[in-house]
Amino acid sequence: MKTTEHIDIRCPRTLAEALRLQADERTRGTLLAGGTDLMVQWASGVPTPVRATSVWNLPEISAIEVCADCLEIGAGVTHAFLVDCTQVHRHLPALAAAAATVGAAQIQARGTLGGNAANASPAGDTAPALLVTGGSVVLASVSGTREVPLDRFWTAYRRIDARPDEIIVAFRLPKKGKAQERFRKIGTRRAQAISKVMAASRILVEKGRIQSVAIALGSIAPTPVRLSEVEALLAGQKPTPALIDEAEKLAQASVRPIADIRSTAEYRRWASGRLVRAALENL
Amino acid sequence: MSIVKRTWTVNGTSVAIRAPAGRRLLDLLREDLGLIGSKESCGEGECGACTVIIDDEPVVSCLVPVGQLPDGTDILTIEGIEKKRAGRLLRQAYVECGAVQCGFCIPGMVVGSYALLRKNPRPSAQAIRAGLAGNLCRCTGYAKIIAAVKLAAARLAGRRK
Ligand SMILES: Cc1cc2nc3c(=O)[nH]c(=O)nc-3n(C[C@H](O)[C@H](O)[C@H](O)COP(=O)(O)OP(=O)(O)OC[C@H]3O[C@@H](n4cnc5c(N)ncnc54)[C@H](O)[C@@H]3O)c2cc1C
Repeated sequence: MKTTEHIDIRCPRTLAEALRLQADERTRGTLLAGGTDLMVQWASGVPTPVRATSVWNLPEISAIEVCADCLEIGAGVTHAFLVDCTQVHRHLPALAAAAATVGAAQIQARGTLGGNAANASPAGDTAPALLVTGGSVVLASVSGTREVPLDRFWTAYRRIDARPDEIIVAFRLPKKGKAQERFRKIGTRRAQAISKVMAASRILVEKGRIQSVAIALGSIAPTPVRLSEVEALLAGQKPTPALIDEAEKLAQASVRPIADIRSTAEYRRWASGRLVRAALENL
Repeated sequence: MSIVKRTWTVNGTSVAIRAPAGRRLLDLLREDLGLIGSKESCGEGECGACTVIIDDEPVVSCLVPVGQLPDGTDILTIEGIEKKRAGRLLRQAYVECGAVQCGFCIPGMVVGSYALLRKNPRPSAQAIRAGLAGNLCRCTGYAKIIAAVKLAAARLAGRRK
């Protein structure tokens, strides 16, 4: 028998039912959304759990709501849905661009935003795009909901601020407004490749000065990170070539990448600087 | 282990299934339903050889546990696609363009092509490359596959007028 057939997978029809299953240790299971991380891990020898709770297609977490200042994106929304959604393109273009680089069509059709965030890989493509919005994650349990700012959500390598009885239900993401967003991923191949380094930025330039700036990188630290030192350097300044040079150097000095099968630490450090430059040129 | 009973539409026909919820859709299709057109190559979602269409979206069936597919799910495999007009045109174009060598990736490639043409009936070469990026072929170098999809798209559009 194939490994995943042993798993007792519960497939609740509603969020309330899923939350009830997760509330009790005796019925709680590994949360399973599109399975594009978990099914692969299980196929490649990671021990399978006794139980799993499917959150795939739960109606309460599978929609996008457009509010006055923000988009509330259900955790169960797929990358394909993000790529096809004009509201996401208009208000959160970095996220739309990031979702479009996840795997390829087949993976985008099943992989979810919640799964990408909860999997908490430093190479998760949507993480930097989420971070630059300054938004938050909404978690639910039978006792209610809780909101965690994204910049505190990824706590350590492959760790998130979520209790075992909680389910991520949504991401509350402020619209970009007049700011410019960019996303750039560097991988071995354009599609179906995990990134070596990627960057997202949200920058507002008005009256010739950088009024607000958020830059986040992935794959260069145990968690996705905002480059706060670089942001501090840039805030309030004119985006001159000299300032951009300085930001590139500071980015290279402030990241702590590792070497692994996908890239070397030196390359990642160098590319981090180049990505920061790309975020700043021609604003 | 939990067993699920479901009624789906597979290639236009109603099918009742009973299987462990964690059984991979690919295994169910091949071993229980005898639909062996979908191939297993990598078993990790990378190669696309097991691509099928679920509710209009192309997915890799090696990563889908059947429990997640409720009653009424509509599944289209290569066996169903070859009976559709776009499927026939794709097959003919693949043959004419010499797009098939060893053939192992081809069912998934044709399913991927079919899904692409449903979303984008006149794709550019670039859009075909992007649309089929999740289908790996180790023989052809892709150029003839891309030509085949272009040819099928042109014929599909031509006859629609
Ligand atoms: C061929 C291939 C290519 C890929 N390419 C990329 C890529 O380019 N970039 C990239 O970032 N990723 C890539 N991935 C990884 C994966 O597709 C993404 O991370 C995807 O978004 C995961 O979502 P999922 O719904 O499939 O998650 P699952 O596999 O279902 O779950 C992943 C994790 O999230 C948890 N989880 C899921 N939903 C919730 C929830 N609502 N609340 C709390 N926890 C939850 C699960 O318990 C699990 O720990 C690739 C995967 C494959 C197979």
